[in-house]
Amino acid sequence: MTETMKHTLLFVFVGVMILLEGMTDFLFFSGSWNSALVILNMGLISAIMAIGVNIQWGFAGLFNVGIMGFTALGGLAVVLVSTPVIPAAWSSGGVSIVMALVMGALTVVAAVMITKFMPAGKLRALVLAVVLIAGFFVYRAIFDPAVGSVEAINPALQGNIGGLGLPVLLAWPAGGLLAAGAAWLIGKTALGLRSDYLAIATLGIAEIIIAVLKNEDWLSRGVKNVVGLPRPLPYEVDLQSDPSFVERAASWGIDPVTASTVYVKAGYALMFTVVLLALLWMAQMALKSPWGRMMRAIRDNETAAEAMGKDVTRRHLQIFVLGSAICGIAGAMMTTLDSQMTPGTYNPLRFTFLIWVMVIVGGSGNNFGAVLGGMLIWFFWIKVEPMGILLMELVTSGMAEGSALKAHLLESASHMRLFTMGLILLLVLRFSPRGLIPEK
Amino acid sequence: MDLLNALVALTNFVIVPGLAYGSQLALGALGVTLIYGILRFSNFAHGDTMAFGAMVTILFTWLFQSVGLSAGPLPTALLALPFGILGTIALALVTDRTVYRFYRQQKAKPVIFVMVSLGVMFMMNGIVRFIIGPGDQRFTDGERFVISARTFKKLTGLQEGLAIKTTEALTVITAVIVVAVLFWFLNKTRTGKSMRAYSDNEDLALLSGINPERVVMYTWMIVAALATIAGVLYGLDKSFKPFTYFQLLLPIFASAIVGGLGNPIGAIAGGFIIAFSEVTITYAWKKVLNYSLPDSLAPDGLVQLLSTDYKFAVSFAILIVVLLFKPTGLFKGKAV
Amino acid sequence: MSDNPYQDDHGNKDASITNVKGIGTMQPAHLKSGPTHKVEGGPFLIGDTMTGGYGKGPDILHDCTIAVDKGEIAVIVGPNGAGKSTAMKAVFGMLNVRSGAVRLDGEDITQLTPQDRVVKGMGFVPQTSNIFTSMTVEENLEMGAFIRTDDFRDTMEQVYDLFPILRDKRNQPAGELSGGQRQQVAVGRALMTKPKVLMLDEPTAGVSPIVMDELFDRIIEVARTGLPILMVEQNAKQALEIADKGYVLVQGRNAYTGTGKELLADPEVRKSFLGG
Repeated sequence: MTETMKHTLLFVFVGVMILLEGMTDFLFFSGSWNSALVILNMGLISAIMAIGVNIQWGFAGLFNVGIMGFTALGGLAVVLVSTPVIPAAWSSGGVSIVMALVMGALTVVAAVMITKFMPAGKLRALVLAVVLIAGFFVYRAIFDPAVGSVEAINPALQGNIGGLGLPVLLAWPAGGLLAAGAAWLIGKTALGLRSDYLAIATLGIAEIIIAVLKNEDWLSRGVKNVVGLPRPLPYEVDLQSDPSFVERAASWGIDPVTASTVYVKAGYALMFTVVLLALLWMAQMALKSPWGRMMRAIRDNETAAEAMGKDVTRRHLQIFVLGSAICGIAGAMMTTLDSQMTPGTYNPLRFTFLIWVMVIVGGSGNNFGAVLGGMLIWFFWIKVEPMGILLMELVTSGMAEGSALKAHLLESASHMRLFTMGLILLLVLRFSPRGLIPEK
Repeated sequence: MDLLNALVALTNFVIVPGLAYGSQLALGALGVTLIYGILRFSNFAHGDTMAFGAMVTILFTWLFQSVGLSAGPLPTALLALPFGILGTIALALVTDRTVYRFYRQQKAKPVIFVMVSLGVMFMMNGIVRFIIGPGDQRFTDGERFVISARTFKKLTGLQEGLAIKTTEALTVITAVIVVAVLFWFLNKTRTGKSMRAYSDNEDLALLSGINPERVVMYTWMIVAALATIAGVLYGLDKSFKPFTYFQLLLPIFASAIVGGLGNPIGAIAGGFIIAFSEVTITYAWKKVLNYSLPDSLAPDGLVQLLSTDYKFAVSFAILIVVLLFKPTGLFKGKAV
Repeated sequence: MSDNPYQDDHGNKDASITNVKGIGTMQPAHLKSGPTHKVEGGPFLIGDTMTGGYGKGPDILHDCTIAVDKGEIAVIVGPNGAGKSTAMKAVFGMLNVRSGAVRLDGEDITQLTPQDRVVKGMGFVPQTSNIFTSMTVEENLEMGAFIRTDDFRDTMEQVYDLFPILRDKRNQPAGELSGGQRQQVAVGRALMTKPKVLMLDEPTAGVSPIVMDELFDRIIEVARTGLPILMVEQNAKQALEIADKGYVLVQGRNAYTGTGKELLADPEVRKSFLGG
């Protein structure tokens, strides 16, 4: 069997699994097209995130453990771009908030300038401290009252500065830009240090981003969530009340409710596939371009590349920003799919480390591997739970009815998920360390 | 103005909790730093190792409580701790045998070990949730306070109370003992010195007849013990929840890096720096300022620099500042 | 990309998650020791007609023979890239010796790992990274004696007598010492095992001429105690002056062999390697 055939078969396997999910309720499959499409959609989004991380890790060896943060920024972009404008919020405090943020940014810039241009010594430390402390208090003095007044506006539904009221699809590139901006800041700091401290920096920043989203109610309503975000596709209820749609569904022999949900989800699947294919194509082109060859040259021998006059830090920063932007786009797509922004649900295990499992299992350095890993691992992530319950039922079938152990085992079966992900990762790292579709 | 009351308030809300949290972070960071120094990678599974150790201890605590065994005024968990440590050592050694050793034989790069530790992290996380569930568990018993706020007020006649929880006192005392024993071990015993030698220069250690596998085994045993103690102390002081332990990774890594990765003294200093920064920056200073400033200057607001939800941000900001000025950490990294 | 997938780090250099300082780089020929057997006669230590290279790589040494007897100093010299250090590493078991043998004190040890050769009595001082920089001088010596189960205080005293400066600096981290002092620590560490033979890989690399002379004096002093010394040297002239035996290697082969004096007097050797 040739390599290409093996790799094609792997993709076919994932496809068949998802088809089976829709067709049959045998074993752990649910037999619902709805559920199959849900898995497919999140699988596509996961594949995009995996491409983003793969670009960073596979091509440049950058260890990003802050994927969650970039994903969440993508989600924030959806809120800021697509929710309706709230004029009252802008007139009451929105402008002051922006001013305060600019003040804060200026303070940081001033601090950086001072460290750069003043000679080191006690004077510099003093000036730095004064600037930072004064800046902080001025910022808080403008910021706090403004936030108070914004949050007071219709708090049950809004209480935030709202968005721009633009079409939600614009939020996807905006999410990419937002993530890219954050990545640039992080990369500039963490890659510019004498040794590279990217991992801990991304780990920390991701937590900070989530903390900001959870607490700054004026921005994205914090843990009160933003629900009912605009969608690029029609609502199911509208479809169900549309006579022509109902008629068409009837001609296929499907009831209108199922038809409408499947129609919407299939629509998303189509859109996501387009984005995935576009990004995949771009990533492949970039990889084959002189730029991609240079990236790999740097990765394989940084010292030699440096000696040839390549600015390694700059290149690393570039690729870090690009990869994070892709994660931001995926994050925006995910929030669009959910049509809600729920900062409380971001969890590093799910949004950072699971993506890493996808990249490693798929094959670090290979974009197709990343896509495969994203889809495959996502399928397992969803399906391990029913599989675990099935397994536990089998294991406990011999036990006495009502025994405490049996109850505990059945109840805990759902926690098999994390365990299984770890097991898959370890097995792949051990027996197929280059992943399912290795880099060529 | 009432400086004495201000001091008591400061001690009560900042110094005592800071000391306890700092000790917990320091113990956690010591484990991370030892693995980094000797096995040469950052162990992402450390938080979950702590959770596992705490879990085993909790199970034994429940067992002891059910048969009526107790440590008098001290938490029963202290009696269960040795069993927790043994269980965690067993887990660490089994993990090393079945997982990590293979990569050592392959002379795998440290970053591969990091990825492997991600897998171990997932699995341990799953095991802990599988056995004890994802929920909150409280297992503190015995006397709640060494000195309660009311007793303190009665004793001193001050307006402000000072409460020291048994768990806080226990945390600090245990941490001091553990750290003293650890440093004695590393600096005075033959095995401890061989561990430092291996960390310093692997090849030369090999040529001196030091057996790497033994060094690694001792390291895992010590790290498992440290993780269990840190996990149990944290759980006693706050509460036990698997996810919280996983999230402790960030402040623990930050402590280890701020102090200088690979340097045990740095890990301890880093733990306290991070803990005190978190506590002071997220504490509402109104009370202390009200006592220490003349009435005319008394603040209106809470004088809280950042809300408590930003404590991660604080650890991280400190980290960046330290790295900008001292890239190897405050205590030059790498001197296990 | 590395051939071994487990060694492929994608060029990652993240100091917050990986620690490469002091990481092992040694590539011993054997990971597990094979059998040894007794042999009769021959010099005390000999690498006999060794041919071999690193791992599966091409041969670097070709029928190269290096030997040293009790009470002797043997010196390996030659131009850059001649395989001087390689020859010594072959004797120490860091090179895949495909044909030929290494014999020490009447025993064929070709199949042993470097660690086991240390146990058999080889004291080896690498050219670089030859001390534990974060540990005190005394701890360095203690680690040298790690394989010994008997009382090693006498040996430590002997080392201090040989290198008095180390006694003064015994509680100072070895990494804080000067280059010459570090080399003394390195030699002292190797002496702590009470080796039967001492192997030094360019002990004077990177030290000033004055320190170099002092180091050579010490090495002679060690040799006077009866310990055979095998040494690779960049400074051919000085080295041959103190050598009982000299080996001039060229491209992994023995070019000239003789006593130190003979080689110094040999016009060919002088012209080619000693600058006239």
